[in-house]
Amino acid sequence: MLNLIKEETNHILVKVNLTEANLSHSHHFKNELIALLNFKKRSVWLDLQTVTYVDSSFLGALVAALKHAIAMKCDVVLLGLQKDIDDMLKLIRLDKVFKIYSNEQDAQNAIG
Amino acid sequence: MAQGTPKTILLVDDNPLFLKLLNQAFTKAGFACHTAHSAQEGLLYLQAQKPDIILSDYEMPEMNGLEFRRSVLKEESLKDIPFMFLTGSDDKDIMYTGLDLQAIDYVIKDTPVDVIVAKINNLLHTVNKQRELSELEIKKTVAALNIKAVPKEAPLVNGFNIDFWHRDYQDIPGGDFIDFIEADNRYLFVILGDIMGKKWKAWFYTFTYLSYVRAAVRFSISGNDNSVATILQKINEVIYHDEGLRDILSSVSLIRIDKLTQQFTYAGAGDLPLLHYNAHRLQLNQVSSSGLLLGLMSDGNFTEQEINLAEGDQLFLFTDGLIDIAVDEGKKSDYALFAGQLTRHLHSKQTFQEFKSILEQQLATLVDDSSIICIHKTVSHA
Repeated sequence: MLNLIKEETNHILVKVNLTEANLSHSHHFKNELIALLNFKKRSVWLDLQTVTYVDSSFLGALVAALKHAIAMKCDVVLLGLQKDIDDMLKLIRLDKVFKIYSNEQDAQNAIG
Repeated sequence: MAQGTPKTILLVDDNPLFLKLLNQAFTKAGFACHTAHSAQEGLLYLQAQKPDIILSDYEMPEMNGLEFRRSVLKEESLKDIPFMFLTGSDDKDIMYTGLDLQAIDYVIKDTPVDVIVAKINNLLHTVNKQRELSELEIKKTVAALNIKAVPKEAPLVNGFNIDFWHRDYQDIPGGDFIDFIEADNRYLFVILGDIMGKKWKAWFYTFTYLSYVRAAVRFSISGNDNSVATILQKINEVIYHDEGLRDILSSVSLIRIDKLTQQFTYAGAGDLPLLHYNAHRLQLNQVSSSGLLLGLMSDGNFTEQEINLAEGDQLFLFTDGLIDIAVDEGKKSDYALFAGQLTRHLHSKQTFQEFKSILEQQLATLVDDSSIICIHKTVSHA
Protein backbone atom coordinates (compact mmCIF):
# COMPACT_ATOMS: atom_id res chain seq x y z
CA MET A 1 0.00 0.00 0.00
CA LEU A 2 2.91 2.36 0.78
CA ASN A 3 5.87 2.55 -1.59
CA LEU A 4 9.01 4.28 -0.45
CA ILE A 5 10.09 6.39 -3.43
CA LYS A 6 13.07 8.25 -2.01
CA GLU A 7 14.80 9.28 1.14
CA GLU A 8 16.02 12.81 1.81
CA THR A 9 17.79 14.18 4.84
CA ASN A 10 14.68 15.56 6.49
CA HIS A 11 11.91 13.54 4.93
CA ILE A 12 10.96 10.47 2.94
CA LEU A 13 8.68 10.45 -0.09
CA VAL A 14 6.10 7.70 -0.04
CA LYS A 15 3.54 6.82 -2.68
CA VAL A 16 0.12 5.59 -1.59
CA ASN A 17 -0.96 2.85 -3.99
CA LEU A 18 -4.71 3.08 -3.61
CA THR A 19 -7.59 4.46 -5.62
CA GLU A 20 -10.37 4.18 -3.07
CA ALA A 21 -8.97 4.63 0.44
CA ASN A 22 -11.51 3.29 2.90
CA LEU A 23 -12.21 1.33 6.06
CA SER A 24 -10.65 -1.84 4.67
CA HIS A 25 -7.27 -0.08 4.35
CA SER A 26 -7.31 2.44 7.18
CA HIS A 27 -6.00 0.25 10.01
CA HIS A 28 -3.22 -1.26 7.93
CA PHE A 29 -2.35 2.14 6.44
CA LYS A 30 -2.10 3.79 9.86
CA ASN A 31 0.12 1.04 11.26
CA GLU A 32 2.39 1.09 8.21
CA LEU A 33 2.72 4.87 8.26
CA ILE A 34 3.44 5.01 11.99
CA ALA A 35 5.99 2.19 11.61
CA LEU A 36 7.69 4.20 8.84
CA LEU A 37 7.78 7.33 11.01
CA ASN A 38 9.26 5.38 13.91
CA PHE A 39 11.82 3.64 11.73
CA LYS A 40 12.95 6.56 9.59
CA LYS A 41 12.49 9.25 12.27
CA ARG A 42 11.77 11.76 9.54
CA SER A 43 8.74 13.53 8.13
CA VAL A 44 6.73 11.60 5.56
CA TRP A 45 5.58 13.23 2.34
CA LEU A 46 2.64 11.21 1.07
CA ASP A 47 1.98 11.18 -2.66
CA LEU A 48 -1.78 10.63 -2.95
CA GLN A 49 -2.27 11.40 -6.63
CA THR A 50 -3.84 8.04 -7.50
CA VAL A 51 -6.37 8.26 -4.67
CA THR A 52 -9.79 9.31 -5.91
CA TYR A 53 -11.81 8.89 -2.71
CA VAL A 54 -11.09 8.82 1.02
CA ASP A 55 -13.68 7.88 3.58
CA SER A 56 -13.78 9.13 7.16
CA SER A 57 -12.01 6.01 8.47
CA PHE A 58 -9.04 6.69 6.24
CA LEU A 59 -9.04 10.40 7.11
CA GLY A 60 -9.00 9.30 10.76
CA ALA A 61 -5.96 7.12 10.04
CA LEU A 62 -4.18 10.04 8.34
CA VAL A 63 -4.90 12.32 11.27
CA ALA A 64 -3.80 9.68 13.80
CA ALA A 65 -0.49 9.36 11.93
CA LEU A 66 -0.11 13.14 11.89
CA LYS A 67 -0.63 13.28 15.66
CA HIS A 68 2.02 10.61 16.06
CA ALA A 69 4.40 12.54 13.77
CA ILE A 70 3.86 15.80 15.64
CA ALA A 71 4.59 14.06 18.95
CA MET A 72 7.97 13.01 17.53
CA LYS A 73 8.54 16.49 16.07
CA CYS A 74 8.04 15.32 12.50
CA ASP A 75 5.26 15.92 10.00
CA VAL A 76 2.97 14.22 7.50
CA VAL A 77 2.77 16.24 4.29
CA LEU A 78 0.13 15.57 1.63
CA LEU A 79 0.97 15.82 -2.07
CA GLY A 80 -1.07 15.55 -5.26
CA LEU A 81 -4.55 15.55 -3.75
CA GLN A 82 -7.36 15.24 -6.26
CA LYS A 83 -9.79 18.15 -6.24
CA ASP A 84 -12.68 16.38 -4.47
CA ILE A 85 -10.38 15.28 -1.65
CA ASP A 86 -8.69 18.68 -1.41
CA ASP A 87 -12.12 20.33 -1.21
CA MET A 88 -13.24 17.90 1.48
CA LEU A 89 -10.16 18.57 3.63
CA LYS A 90 -10.77 22.31 3.35
CA LEU A 91 -14.44 21.95 4.27
CA ILE A 92 -13.54 20.26 7.55
CA ARG A 93 -10.48 22.46 8.19
CA LEU A 94 -7.91 19.70 7.89
CA ASP A 95 -5.99 22.04 5.61
CA LYS A 96 -5.17 23.95 8.81
CA VAL A 97 -3.28 20.99 10.27
CA PHE A 98 -1.81 19.26 7.21
CA LYS A 99 0.71 20.89 4.91
CA ILE A 100 -0.75 20.29 1.45
CA TYR A 101 1.07 20.80 -1.87
CA SER A 102 0.21 19.94 -5.43
CA ASN A 103 3.48 18.09 -6.00
CA GLU A 104 6.90 17.34 -4.60
CA GLN A 105 8.51 20.34 -6.29
CA ASP A 106 6.03 22.75 -4.69
CA ALA A 107 6.66 21.15 -1.33
CA GLN A 108 10.43 21.41 -1.86
CA ASN A 109 10.08 25.10 -2.68
CA ALA A 110 7.94 25.76 0.36
CA ILE A 111 9.44 23.60 3.09
CA GLY A 112 12.17 21.46 1.53
CA MET B 1 -24.56 -14.21 -7.34
CA ALA B 2 -25.48 -11.92 -10.18
CA GLN B 3 -27.54 -9.57 -8.01
CA GLY B 4 -26.17 -6.55 -6.12
CA THR B 5 -22.48 -5.76 -5.81
CA PRO B 6 -20.41 -8.53 -7.43
CA LYS B 7 -18.27 -10.61 -5.10
CA THR B 8 -14.56 -10.17 -5.68
CA ILE B 9 -12.16 -13.08 -6.00
CA LEU B 10 -8.37 -13.19 -6.23
CA LEU B 11 -7.23 -16.07 -8.42
CA VAL B 12 -3.58 -17.04 -8.03
CA ASP B 13 -1.98 -19.59 -10.35
CA ASP B 14 1.29 -19.70 -12.29
CA ASN B 15 -0.41 -21.56 -15.15
CA PRO B 16 -1.70 -18.79 -17.46
CA LEU B 17 -4.07 -21.06 -19.32
CA PHE B 18 -5.76 -22.41 -16.21
CA LEU B 19 -5.89 -18.91 -14.76
CA LYS B 20 -7.66 -17.69 -17.89
CA LEU B 21 -10.12 -20.57 -17.65
CA LEU B 22 -10.89 -19.78 -14.01
CA ASN B 23 -11.20 -16.09 -14.82
CA GLN B 24 -13.76 -16.79 -17.55
CA ALA B 25 -15.78 -19.19 -15.40
CA PHE B 26 -15.92 -16.91 -12.36
CA THR B 27 -16.64 -13.81 -14.46
CA LYS B 28 -19.50 -15.69 -16.10
CA ALA B 29 -20.78 -16.58 -12.64
CA GLY B 30 -20.96 -12.88 -11.74
CA PHE B 31 -17.68 -12.45 -9.83
CA ALA B 32 -15.32 -9.52 -10.21
CA CYS B 33 -12.01 -11.36 -10.76
CA HIS B 34 -8.44 -10.33 -10.27
CA THR B 35 -5.76 -12.72 -11.47
CA ALA B 36 -2.20 -13.06 -10.22
CA HIS B 37 0.45 -15.26 -11.87
CA SER B 38 2.43 -15.71 -8.67
CA ALA B 39 2.04 -15.50 -4.92
CA GLN B 40 4.18 -12.33 -4.91
CA GLU B 41 1.85 -10.72 -7.45
CA GLY B 42 -1.11 -11.78 -5.29
CA LEU B 43 0.44 -10.20 -2.19
CA LEU B 44 1.06 -6.99 -4.11
CA TYR B 45 -2.62 -6.87 -5.10
CA LEU B 46 -3.65 -7.53 -1.48
CA GLN B 47 -1.71 -4.48 -0.32
CA ALA B 48 -4.33 -2.31 -2.00
CA GLN B 49 -7.44 -4.47 -2.34
CA LYS B 50 -9.36 -6.83 -0.13
CA PRO B 51 -11.26 -9.46 -2.12
CA ASP B 52 -14.13 -11.49 -0.70
CA ILE B 53 -12.22 -14.72 -1.25
CA ILE B 54 -8.82 -16.00 -2.41
CA LEU B 55 -8.39 -19.11 -4.54
CA SER B 56 -4.75 -20.08 -4.84
CA ASP B 57 -2.78 -22.81 -6.53
CA TYR B 58 -0.47 -24.84 -4.31
CA GLU B 59 2.42 -25.62 -6.62
CA MET B 60 4.04 -22.39 -7.76
CA PRO B 61 7.72 -21.47 -8.22
CA GLU B 62 9.51 -19.24 -5.66
CA MET B 63 6.65 -18.96 -3.21
CA ASN B 64 4.25 -21.89 -3.08
CA GLY B 65 0.63 -21.79 -1.97
CA LEU B 66 1.37 -22.67 1.65
CA GLU B 67 3.96 -19.89 1.94
CA PHE B 68 1.48 -17.52 0.32
CA ARG B 69 -1.15 -18.55 2.88
CA ARG B 70 1.30 -17.99 5.75
CA SER B 71 2.07 -14.47 4.44
CA VAL B 72 -1.65 -13.67 4.22
CA LEU B 73 -2.24 -14.94 7.76
CA LYS B 74 0.47 -12.61 9.09
CA GLU B 75 -1.51 -9.56 7.94
CA GLU B 76 -4.19 -8.58 10.42
CA SER B 77 -6.32 -6.96 7.72
CA LEU B 78 -6.13 -10.00 5.41
CA LYS B 79 -6.18 -13.02 7.68
CA ASP B 80 -9.95 -13.30 7.78
CA ILE B 81 -10.45 -13.39 4.03
CA PRO B 82 -11.72 -16.87 3.14
CA PHE B 83 -8.92 -18.81 1.45
CA MET B 84 -9.18 -21.93 -0.67
CA PHE B 85 -6.38 -24.08 -2.08
CA LEU B 86 -6.31 -25.37 -5.58
CA THR B 87 -3.94 -28.24 -6.05
CA GLY B 88 -2.98 -30.54 -8.85
CA SER B 89 -1.96 -33.06 -6.30
CA ASP B 90 -4.02 -35.21 -3.98
CA ASP B 91 -1.16 -35.39 -1.53
CA LYS B 92 -2.83 -35.76 1.84
CA ASP B 93 0.07 -34.12 3.71
CA ILE B 94 -0.25 -30.94 1.69
CA MET B 95 -3.98 -30.88 2.28
CA TYR B 96 -3.63 -31.35 6.05
CA THR B 97 -0.95 -28.65 6.24
CA GLY B 98 -3.21 -26.35 4.22
CA LEU B 99 -6.13 -26.99 6.51
CA ASP B 100 -3.92 -26.38 9.55
CA LEU B 101 -3.24 -22.95 8.07
CA GLN B 102 -6.95 -22.20 8.27
CA ALA B 103 -7.49 -22.67 4.57
CA ILE B 104 -11.20 -23.28 4.50
CA ASP B 105 -11.01 -26.03 1.90
CA TYR B 106 -9.05 -27.34 -1.04
CA VAL B 107 -10.04 -28.33 -4.55
CA ILE B 108 -8.25 -30.78 -6.79
CA LYS B 109 -7.34 -29.06 -10.04
CA ASP B 110 -8.99 -31.61 -12.31
CA THR B 111 -12.35 -30.85 -10.72
CA PRO B 112 -14.66 -29.42 -13.43
CA VAL B 113 -14.49 -25.63 -13.34
CA ASP B 114 -18.26 -25.35 -12.85
CA VAL B 115 -17.94 -27.43 -9.70
CA ILE B 116 -15.11 -25.19 -8.42
CA VAL B 117 -17.34 -22.15 -8.98
CA ALA B 118 -20.25 -23.86 -7.20
CA LYS B 119 -17.98 -24.80 -4.29
CA ILE B 120 -16.76 -21.20 -3.91
CA ASN B 121 -20.34 -19.91 -4.11
CA ASN B 122 -21.43 -22.31 -1.38
CA LEU B 123 -18.49 -21.35 0.77
CA LEU B 124 -19.18 -17.63 0.43
CA HIS B 125 -22.85 -18.22 1.14
CA THR B 126 -21.95 -20.04 4.39
CA VAL B 127 -19.43 -17.35 5.40
CA ASN B 128 -21.98 -14.59 4.76
CA LYS B 129 -24.68 -16.45 6.61
CA GLN B 130 -22.38 -16.81 9.61
CA ARG B 131 -21.49 -13.12 9.43
CA GLU B 132 -25.17 -12.16 9.28
CA LEU B 133 -25.91 -14.33 12.30
CA SER B 134 -23.07 -12.72 14.28
CA GLU B 135 -24.34 -9.25 13.39
CA LEU B 136 -27.86 -10.26 14.28
CA GLU B 137 -26.62 -11.37 17.70
CA ILE B 138 -24.94 -8.00 18.28
CA LYS B 139 -28.04 -6.15 17.09
CA LYS B 140 -30.21 -8.16 19.48
CA THR B 141 -27.85 -7.34 22.35
CA VAL B 142 -27.86 -3.64 21.45
CA ALA B 143 -31.68 -3.64 21.27
CA ALA B 144 -31.85 -5.34 24.68
CA LEU B 145 -29.53 -2.73 26.19
CA ASN B 146 -31.80 0.00 24.77
CA ILE B 147 -28.95 2.43 24.12
CA LYS B 148 -29.28 4.82 21.23
CA ALA B 149 -27.04 7.43 19.66
CA VAL B 150 -30.01 9.07 17.94
CA PRO B 151 -33.19 10.17 19.76
CA LYS B 152 -36.63 8.95 18.81
CA GLU B 153 -37.95 12.40 17.99
CA ALA B 154 -37.03 16.07 17.92
CA PRO B 155 -38.22 18.46 20.63
CA LEU B 156 -41.08 20.89 20.16
CA VAL B 157 -39.97 24.53 20.29
CA ASN B 158 -42.27 27.51 19.92
CA GLY B 159 -41.72 29.25 16.60
CA PHE B 160 -39.71 26.41 15.04
CA ASN B 161 -40.16 23.06 13.42
CA ILE B 162 -37.22 20.83 14.25
CA ASP B 163 -36.93 17.53 12.46
CA PHE B 164 -34.19 15.12 11.49
CA TRP B 165 -33.42 12.08 9.36
CA HIS B 166 -30.85 9.42 10.10
CA ARG B 167 -29.95 6.11 8.47
CA ASP B 168 -27.27 3.61 9.39
CA TYR B 169 -25.11 2.33 6.58
CA GLN B 170 -25.98 -1.26 5.69
CA ASP B 171 -28.27 -1.33 8.71
CA ILE B 172 -25.29 -1.41 11.11
CA PRO B 173 -25.01 1.43 13.64
CA GLY B 174 -22.09 3.73 12.91
CA GLY B 175 -20.48 6.91 14.18
CA ASP B 176 -23.24 9.50 13.73
CA PHE B 177 -24.91 10.85 16.84
CA ILE B 178 -27.69 13.34 17.44
CA ASP B 179 -28.92 14.87 20.66
CA PHE B 180 -31.24 17.64 21.80
CA ILE B 181 -30.50 18.87 25.32
CA GLU B 182 -33.08 21.01 27.08
CA ALA B 183 -30.56 22.54 29.45
CA ASP B 184 -33.13 24.67 31.24
CA ASN B 185 -36.32 26.53 30.43
CA ARG B 186 -34.46 28.92 28.19
CA TYR B 187 -31.81 27.07 26.22
CA LEU B 188 -31.99 24.12 23.89
CA PHE B 189 -28.76 22.63 22.57
CA VAL B 190 -28.80 20.85 19.21
CA ILE B 191 -25.93 18.42 18.64
CA LEU B 192 -24.90 16.54 15.54
CA GLY B 193 -21.70 14.53 15.65
CA ASP B 194 -19.84 12.01 13.54
CA ILE B 195 -17.07 9.78 14.87
CA MET B 196 -14.46 9.20 12.18
CA GLY B 197 -14.71 5.57 11.24
CA LYS B 198 -17.47 3.16 10.49
CA LYS B 199 -19.78 0.52 11.84
CA TRP B 200 -19.60 -0.97 15.34
CA LYS B 201 -16.29 0.48 16.43
CA ALA B 202 -17.40 4.04 15.63
CA TRP B 203 -20.81 3.36 17.15
CA PHE B 204 -19.24 2.19 20.41
CA TYR B 205 -17.44 5.52 20.83
CA THR B 206 -20.53 7.64 20.15
CA PHE B 207 -21.63 7.04 23.74
CA THR B 208 -18.35 8.24 25.22
CA TYR B 209 -18.55 11.36 23.09
CA LEU B 210 -22.22 11.91 23.88
CA SER B 211 -21.48 11.58 27.60
CA TYR B 212 -18.76 14.23 27.37
CA VAL B 213 -20.98 16.57 25.33
CA ARG B 214 -23.92 16.18 27.70
CA ALA B 215 -21.74 16.71 30.77
CA ALA B 216 -20.03 19.78 29.26
CA VAL B 217 -23.37 21.36 28.36
CA ARG B 218 -24.80 20.74 31.85
CA PHE B 219 -21.67 22.03 33.62
CA SER B 220 -21.59 25.11 31.42
CA ILE B 221 -25.18 25.98 32.15
CA SER B 222 -24.75 25.44 35.89
CA GLY B 223 -21.60 27.59 35.75
CA ASN B 224 -23.46 30.36 33.89
CA ASP B 225 -21.16 30.08 30.89
CA ASN B 226 -23.22 28.76 28.00
CA SER B 227 -20.87 29.79 25.21
CA VAL B 228 -20.92 27.00 22.61
CA ALA B 229 -17.27 27.64 21.69
CA THR B 230 -16.28 27.24 25.35
CA ILE B 231 -18.31 24.05 25.59
CA LEU B 232 -16.51 22.59 22.57
CA GLN B 233 -13.11 23.59 23.93
CA LYS B 234 -13.89 21.92 27.27
CA ILE B 235 -14.94 18.71 25.53
CA ASN B 236 -11.87 18.92 23.31
CA GLU B 237 -9.50 19.24 26.27
CA VAL B 238 -10.95 16.18 27.95
CA ILE B 239 -10.93 14.10 24.77
CA TYR B 240 -7.44 15.22 23.77
CA HIS B 241 -6.05 13.94 27.06
CA ASP B 242 -8.20 10.80 27.25
CA GLU B 243 -5.94 7.83 26.53
CA GLY B 244 -8.99 5.69 25.83
CA LEU B 245 -9.92 7.98 22.94
CA ARG B 246 -6.49 8.21 21.37
CA ASP B 247 -6.97 8.40 17.60
CA ILE B 248 -10.76 8.50 17.92
CA LEU B 249 -11.75 11.84 16.45
CA SER B 250 -15.16 13.34 15.94
CA SER B 251 -16.82 16.24 14.22
CA VAL B 252 -19.55 18.10 16.08
CA SER B 253 -21.96 20.86 15.15
CA LEU B 254 -23.31 22.54 18.27
CA ILE B 255 -26.15 25.05 18.24
CA ARG B 256 -27.66 26.82 21.21
CA ILE B 257 -31.21 28.03 20.69
CA ASP B 258 -32.39 30.75 23.03
CA LYS B 259 -36.10 30.04 23.21
CA LEU B 260 -36.74 33.45 24.75
CA THR B 261 -35.11 35.56 22.03
CA GLN B 262 -35.12 32.89 19.26
CA GLN B 263 -31.41 33.57 18.73
CA PHE B 264 -29.07 30.87 17.49
CA THR B 265 -25.41 30.55 18.41
CA TYR B 266 -23.26 28.05 16.55
CA ALA B 267 -19.82 26.53 16.92
CA GLY B 268 -18.40 23.62 14.97
CA ALA B 269 -15.59 21.13 15.35
CA GLY B 270 -14.36 19.76 12.01
CA ASP B 271 -17.96 19.66 10.81
CA LEU B 272 -19.25 20.30 7.33
CA PRO B 273 -20.48 23.88 6.81
CA LEU B 274 -24.15 24.21 7.69
CA LEU B 275 -26.58 25.36 5.03
CA HIS B 276 -28.87 28.30 5.74
CA TYR B 277 -31.82 28.78 3.42
CA ASN B 278 -32.85 32.42 3.19
CA ALA B 279 -36.54 32.19 2.29
CA HIS B 280 -36.77 35.84 1.28
CA ARG B 281 -33.83 35.75 -1.15
CA LEU B 282 -34.39 32.12 -2.12
CA GLN B 283 -30.70 31.46 -1.43
CA LEU B 284 -28.88 28.61 0.26
CA ASN B 285 -25.75 29.91 2.00
CA GLN B 286 -22.91 28.09 3.72
CA VAL B 287 -22.29 28.78 7.40
CA SER B 288 -18.72 27.77 8.17
CA SER B 289 -17.06 27.38 11.52
CA SER B 290 -13.39 27.48 12.45
CA GLY B 291 -12.99 24.60 14.89
CA LEU B 292 -10.91 21.49 14.34
CA LEU B 293 -12.05 17.92 14.89
CA LEU B 294 -12.46 17.11 18.57
CA GLY B 295 -9.34 15.48 19.99
CA LEU B 296 -7.06 16.60 17.17
CA MET B 297 -5.13 19.43 18.85
CA SER B 298 -5.09 20.68 22.43
CA ASP B 299 -6.46 24.01 21.20
CA GLY B 300 -9.31 23.35 18.79
CA ASN B 301 -9.57 27.00 17.63
CA PHE B 302 -13.28 27.10 18.36
CA THR B 303 -15.19 30.30 17.73
CA GLU B 304 -18.90 30.96 17.79
CA GLN B 305 -21.26 32.99 15.69
CA GLU B 306 -24.85 34.14 15.73
CA ILE B 307 -27.14 32.81 13.04
CA ASN B 308 -30.17 34.94 12.38
CA LEU B 309 -33.11 33.03 10.99
CA ALA B 310 -35.98 35.07 9.58
CA GLU B 311 -39.49 33.69 9.26
CA GLY B 312 -39.49 30.87 6.70
CA ASP B 313 -35.72 30.37 6.87
CA GLN B 314 -34.32 26.88 7.36
CA LEU B 315 -31.02 25.71 8.77
CA PHE B 316 -29.53 22.33 7.87
CA LEU B 317 -26.85 20.44 9.79
CA PHE B 318 -25.64 17.21 8.19
CA THR B 319 -22.89 14.59 8.26
CA ASP B 320 -20.53 13.54 5.48
CA GLY B 321 -22.60 10.45 4.68
CA LEU B 322 -24.87 12.72 2.67
CA ILE B 323 -22.09 14.06 0.48
CA ASP B 324 -20.31 10.73 -0.05
CA ILE B 325 -22.01 8.88 -2.85
CA ALA B 326 -21.50 5.87 -5.09
CA VAL B 327 -21.04 6.78 -8.76
CA ASP B 328 -20.21 4.71 -11.83
CA GLU B 329 -16.46 5.29 -11.39
CA GLY B 330 -16.49 4.38 -7.68
CA LYS B 331 -17.19 6.77 -4.84
CA LYS B 332 -16.87 10.50 -4.45
CA SER B 333 -17.39 13.30 -1.94
CA ASP B 334 -19.37 16.20 -3.36
CA TYR B 335 -20.68 18.85 -0.98
CA ALA B 336 -21.81 21.10 -3.86
CA LEU B 337 -23.85 18.29 -5.39
CA PHE B 338 -25.78 17.80 -2.15
CA ALA B 339 -26.24 21.57 -1.70
CA GLY B 340 -27.59 21.71 -5.28
CA GLN B 341 -30.06 18.93 -4.58
CA LEU B 342 -31.24 20.70 -1.43
CA THR B 343 -31.57 24.00 -3.29
CA ARG B 344 -33.78 22.43 -5.96
CA HIS B 345 -35.92 20.87 -3.29
CA LEU B 346 -36.33 24.17 -1.45
CA HIS B 347 -37.07 26.09 -4.64
CA SER B 348 -39.85 23.67 -5.43
CA LYS B 349 -41.38 24.52 -2.02
CA GLN B 350 -41.21 20.96 -0.82
CA THR B 351 -41.23 20.21 2.89
CA PHE B 352 -38.46 18.54 4.85
CA GLN B 353 -40.79 15.57 5.19
CA GLU B 354 -40.77 15.27 1.40
CA PHE B 355 -36.99 15.67 1.32
CA LYS B 356 -36.71 12.79 3.77
CA SER B 357 -38.73 10.65 1.35
CA ILE B 358 -36.28 11.55 -1.42
CA LEU B 359 -33.36 10.55 0.79
CA GLU B 360 -35.07 7.24 1.53
CA GLN B 361 -35.23 6.59 -2.20
CA GLN B 362 -31.50 7.28 -2.52
CA LEU B 363 -30.39 4.79 0.14
CA ALA B 364 -28.73 2.58 -2.46
CA THR B 365 -26.25 5.34 -3.37
CA LEU B 366 -25.20 6.08 0.23
CA VAL B 367 -21.84 4.76 1.37
CA ASP B 368 -21.85 5.82 5.02
CA ASP B 369 -24.15 6.66 7.94
CA SER B 370 -26.14 9.72 7.04
CA SER B 371 -27.81 12.29 9.24
CA ILE B 372 -29.44 15.66 8.68
CA ILE B 373 -31.21 18.01 11.06
CA CYS B 374 -33.55 20.71 9.75
CA ILE B 375 -34.54 23.71 11.86
CA HIS B 376 -37.32 25.68 10.19
CA LYS B 377 -38.35 29.03 11.61
CA THR B 378 -42.08 29.19 11.24
CA VAL B 379 -43.01 32.25 13.30
CA SER B 380 -41.09 35.48 13.88
CA HIS B 381 -40.21 36.51 17.37
CA ALA B 382 -42.80 38.98 18.71
